[in-house]
Amino acid sequence: MTLTPNFWPMLQTASLETLYMVSVSAALTTLLGLPLGVALVVTRPGHIVGRLWRVNSSLGAAINALRSVPFIIFMVAILDWVRLLVGTGIGPTAVIIPLTLAATAFMARVAESALLEVPHGVIEAAQSAGATTWQIIWHVLLPEARPGLIQAVTITVINLIGCSAMAGAIGGGGLGDLGIRYGYQRHLLDVLWATVLILMVWVQVIQSLGDRVADHFRS
Amino acid sequence: MALIEARQLVKTFGDGQRSVEALRGVDLAVEEGEIFGVIGLSGAGKSTLIRCLNRLERPTSGQVMIEGRDLTAMSESELRQSRRRMGMIFQHFDLLSSRTAAGNVSFPLETAGQPQKLIKPRVDELLELVGLTDKAGAYPSQLSGGQKQRVGIARALAVRPRILLCDEATSALDPRTTKSILALIEDVKNRLGLTVVLITHQMAVIAQICDRVAVMDNGRIVESGPVIEVFTRPGHPTSQSFVDEVINQTDSAAGLGCQPKGDLVRLLYTGRLAREPLLSTLGQRFQVEAAILQGRVDQIKGAPFGTLLLDLAGPEEGRRQALAYLKSLELTVKVLNHDADA
Repeated sequence: MTLTPNFWPMLQTASLETLYMVSVSAALTTLLGLPLGVALVVTRPGHIVGRLWRVNSSLGAAINALRSVPFIIFMVAILDWVRLLVGTGIGPTAVIIPLTLAATAFMARVAESALLEVPHGVIEAAQSAGATTWQIIWHVLLPEARPGLIQAVTITVINLIGCSAMAGAIGGGGLGDLGIRYGYQRHLLDVLWATVLILMVWVQVIQSLGDRVADHFRS
Repeated sequence: MALIEARQLVKTFGDGQRSVEALRGVDLAVEEGEIFGVIGLSGAGKSTLIRCLNRLERPTSGQVMIEGRDLTAMSESELRQSRRRMGMIFQHFDLLSSRTAAGNVSFPLETAGQPQKLIKPRVDELLELVGLTDKAGAYPSQLSGGQKQRVGIARALAVRPRILLCDEATSALDPRTTKSILALIEDVKNRLGLTVVLITHQMAVIAQICDRVAVMDNGRIVESGPVIEVFTRPGHPTSQSFVDEVINQTDSAAGLGCQPKGDLVRLLYTGRLAREPLLSTLGQRFQVEAAILQGRVDQIKGAPFGTLLLDLAGPEEGRRQALAYLKSLELTVKVLNHDADA
């Protein structure tokens, strides 16, 4: 059995494209999603800035709205705006925008649940010591929730890998694109299984890396 | 002027039909330098009360005056300044799990904006004060309950407050650890000239270190006064049941499973009298035989507090004189059966 011509170069290009899409959108997602998660928690009624509960309900509604649209539809729906912003609707760079938006909404929710694990008593202890809201966020909430937040980033990145493959199906490039166009539509099984294998290995590596880092911070 | 004062404090949780009145008009005055205890069963409102004292809970109405300033009217930044004058320790310690013992103690110093080079020596000093120098690098998960509370105390005292608030600080600890933590609280109070407010559901805690006590029931303070007075003359059924919890007394002969020969008399006495040869005096001067049916001596704030249940037998005149003699002493006499009056 011989491999499809250009098998290795194709895989290499596609892998690098996926790596690019996922790492840039993961970085942006963490930058946006983490603060949103913090905002979702601290503006809950009864939490440290519970008086801003209106912010909480609008933010929650927006995130729910974003998350209720299946990613592949969401991508198509915002295509025109993406074109306006980056000049093109296809290719890895164009895909980063919908990927980041969708993953940010996801990240905000998983970060929220990690931050909610911080016992209320610990926050009150900081309050009774005269700490400000920012000090509580920075010195109490974030460090106390660190293992959970690392897990949140981990599953967000894995989620991004899945979404980036989906994005490939409508011209985003990367491993998903390769798998669909060559593996599925041209029925090149070696290409198909190679993309599957690469994605599997990545997910395994990222998950165990995330677990290990999270464990390191659990004391 | 009292250092801490609560005036007509009301706290209602929720609204409408499902609202709960945790505090129904509480007045409280804590003097500088005392250890003031608030005791009550769970749901009595004591936890809400102490949390109102540093505005972790905002009272629905009424005032909290700390050092003469109204806490309820303060802005957030004024409140933070006031909170730094009041350290607080908690039932579940509430330490930062991501920081070591030393890291937890340095937290209030950092948030108060103290320079790093002053923090380290202060943390060492505080850990030494609570006897945990060797555990500076340990994480809370590596510490016992008592050690965690010691870290909590060091943290609470870090920014040199005048007041220490203890919210059920020993309720999660075993009896021996409870004693040592209470001893530590009393020790730091004396050394640093603190004023302490503590809440508890254990009368033994009150007996060990408090100067004055307020008994809470159903959102109200039903009795308050010097601890020794509440012990010797509890004026409310709730206080009575807390006192019984410590001295475990039975007020009927039937409860003891015997038939008294004469007058059944309960004596409650404190201080100097605990060392007087009372029983031989009764025998020699009034020809009255005093049989001890029950008796114990407890410590209240380091002073002996005795309770005796006596069966006084002998000639009627002698018994009458013996009772009159007992009543003339500094002790509380309760005649439980009324043979003597018959």
